[in-house]
Amino acid sequence: MKDAQHLLRVIIIFVAALVGFLLVRSFLVPESFGKLGHYRANAVDDVLALPRHYAGEPACKKCHAQQASDKAKSSHRHMSCESCHGALQAHVDSPKTVKPSKPKENEMRAFCGNCHGKSLSRPAKFPQVDLEEHNRGMACNQCHQPHQPK
Amino acid sequence: MKNFSRKQFLKTAAGAALVMATRVFSTPLHAADKFFREPPWKRKKPYWGFAVDITKCIGCGRCADACKTENEVPREAFYFRTWVERYIIRRNGEVNVDSPNGGMDPFLPPHDPETVTKSFFVPKLCGHCENSPCEQVCPVGATFKTEDGVVLVDRKYCIGCRYCIQACPYGCRYFHPVLHVADKCTLCYHRIKKGLNTACVEVCPTGARMFGDLSDPKSAITKFYETETTNVLKASMGTEPKLLYKGLDKEVR
Repeated sequence: MKDAQHLLRVIIIFVAALVGFLLVRSFLVPESFGKLGHYRANAVDDVLALPRHYAGEPACKKCHAQQASDKAKSSHRHMSCESCHGALQAHVDSPKTVKPSKPKENEMRAFCGNCHGKSLSRPAKFPQVDLEEHNRGMACNQCHQPHQPK
Repeated sequence: MKNFSRKQFLKTAAGAALVMATRVFSTPLHAADKFFREPPWKRKKPYWGFAVDITKCIGCGRCADACKTENEVPREAFYFRTWVERYIIRRNGEVNVDSPNGGMDPFLPPHDPETVTKSFFVPKLCGHCENSPCEQVCPVGATFKTEDGVVLVDRKYCIGCRYCIQACPYGCRYFHPVLHVADKCTLCYHRIKKGLNTACVEVCPTGARMFGDLSDPKSAITKFYETETTNVLKASMGTEPKLLYKGLDKEVR
């Protein structure tokens, strides 16, 4: 009889500890944790809800068909509009108020040179000019049209 | 029951605990590391992968800039999710690596070009490793791999212990100075799930960067993985990154 009492006490302690553990655990483990793996499944939705800043080329083409078709025939055809004009989701959302930027005339040599300046690290086949020698002081678009480069 | 002494009871309890513990710890780990041994059509759909063609990279740094804009990464020169390194290898075997502001500032020409035997640009970013060390060391499960193979950080659950930043052999993580959590490339998860390109792929002018669905046997990225001669960084670490480089030099670390 005494043994059974001992056993009962131990069982009570175990059950109480288990209930306590589960109670604390239910407060500490966040919702959706472990649904897909050892992480909070809802965290994926948090990442998906982050804002976008680049609209992507298809959005540009909807309004700027002329520029897109010019570019499509040129050697800049594989480039996205936003490579040069910057992130423009804001412009797509409100085209009237947010205007895209163009490289300024006095910054153009540096801007185009960012890709086309001569460098021994660039692939040899890539078109490059020595900015120190090539028509110094002239803006690139006086001869080269960025949407139809030659 | 009558002869069941305290000693015997404790022994039995300890035995039972041991059996339970063995069962818990012997559960097989995540099955995702089987990925590369599975043919494409058996992979989970979609399953994202990335590739870089070093022979096409011109080091313009548009990718690093676009990534900072798209993902609102702090503009200071210590915080990058992707960046471009320039390698200069000289005749005497000397190797110089530089990355001015992650490649967003111009790479200055070397003073002694005649000693240079070869030079090239290497864009770097998270490889979304199959066996990602960062995921394994996270003490709270704040870094995880999604079902489509992208390694993400749970900003609400990260405790900011920086263990993952230490663990990444590629240096692809940083501590976000404002949010006080670990931060890294998400493969623009908020874009690719909506059918858009990642920001870096969108702006890359030469097509040196590529991403796509590895579970699609006909996709361009699967073709690249299957037909190009490629390599990964630090293959000996067994991290199995889903970031393949074409034209990777042995000097690249």
